[in-house]
Amino acid sequence: MITSAAPALSRVHDVTEEVFAAIREVRDATVAALAPERPLVADLAALRPLLWSRLTTGPLAALIAGIGFIAAPGLLADAPWYLEWWQQHPSGQPRQLLRDLDPASSAFYDYTHWEWFTGPRVGRERTICGPYVDYLCTDEYSLTLSVPVTVGGAFAGAAAADVFVRNFEAAVAPALRELPKPAFLINAEGRVVASNSARWLSGSVYRGGLAVTPVPGLDLSLVQGPAAE
Amino acid sequence: MVSSGARLAVFSPVDSTARVEAVVRRLADAIVLGLLTDGEQLPSEAELAARLGVSTVTLREALMALRQRGLVETRRGRGGGSFVRVPPDSGLEGRLRGLTVAELRDVSDHYAAIAGAAARLAAGRSLPSDLAPLRRSLDEMAGCPSPRLDGRFHIEVAAASQSARLTQEEIRLQADIGPLLWLSRDTPEGQDEMAKQHQAIVEAIERGDGDQARLVAERHVLDATDHLIELRLRLQD
Repeated sequence: MITSAAPALSRVHDVTEEVFAAIREVRDATVAALAPERPLVADLAALRPLLWSRLTTGPLAALIAGIGFIAAPGLLADAPWYLEWWQQHPSGQPRQLLRDLDPASSAFYDYTHWEWFTGPRVGRERTICGPYVDYLCTDEYSLTLSVPVTVGGAFAGAAAADVFVRNFEAAVAPALRELPKPAFLINAEGRVVASNSARWLSGSVYRGGLAVTPVPGLDLSLVQGPAAE
Repeated sequence: MVSSGARLAVFSPVDSTARVEAVVRRLADAIVLGLLTDGEQLPSEAELAARLGVSTVTLREALMALRQRGLVETRRGRGGGSFVRVPPDSGLEGRLRGLTVAELRDVSDHYAAIAGAAARLAAGRSLPSDLAPLRRSLDEMAGCPSPRLDGRFHIEVAAASQSARLTQEEIRLQADIGPLLWLSRDTPEGQDEMAKQHQAIVEAIERGDGDQARLVAERHVLDATDHLIELRLRLQD
């Protein structure tokens, strides 16, 4: 009997799209907050109720560990580098990420090299960055999903959310388990995101040889091997 | 509607101890490394707090700790403000005196294990997107070596292992001993040798040669700690 991959593909699609939907809300709220001609850091505080509620309520709170807006350098009149970024915290109350963001004093935090920033900057509608060790924000093994924020046709920055790989894996694992082993999800580069087999774990690299089915509309693919492992 | 949990966050006490320590360490290291020089005036409290991304309350606590350690002096009145003070024993020697040879050997063993394991895994798992930051750091270091770039490079290697725990350990070790290791090799020959080792680590990772990557990463740590231990042994207690 052939097990259809369709339910797994649609589960992955739905989980990912839910996160992107939340990010697009952040994008829209950011566009509204950036209405002033020379926006300031304080203008972005308007995003906070939305960011906090995405981190604390509803099914997305089990997935999204951090969410916010990353300003293009020079966008804000009073801070050349700025993230309006909030994260879940064990206390249950979101915390703002505070970092020295000036590359002149901190070699770590020139954020314009990260794919979650470069993807939106070149106009990619959906960027899935990772899995990667996110030593900028969480020190965890994460995915960062992002979308461009444009104001008057100009790139203003990225709206984004962090999803820990372990939580993403938990969300898609039941669907993957329905498939014969091995079945695993890879990103555009071939890095394994989630898997139903110990042979292919998240973080390992798939280098070809098995059947690959793209997840519609996303830079993710489902890889399936011959049933006997 | 904002959830009640989110509303509570507005008024929750901010955990500031970690931030105070982070600011103290950053400024103290900058003074030890000579990035801030004796007598230099620090920016105003408000400006410094904004640049470091902390509140002025946190900054004031950090300045108080630095004053107690004799690293900052505050003068009142016209021409007043906070000034950097470099005590005679605050450099490499001063820091080294605070560590015993046994401690240095132990850190060295720990660090070599972490760096070696991370480099081996990175060789098996890295993709072009992991190698790009390593190459960028090598290029930047070729132009202008600094402990900051050196630290970033090693954290990028650890991150390429795809292991969050190894990366967290690398970050901790960098904070503990990174600047000191760098200082111990801060001579033209030392810099040259470090650059060659960095290059060899990246090449082994690029080739996917895990055994070689582990070997050169361990060698890199052990060479630096050897130098540090030699320096420590020469110091009179």
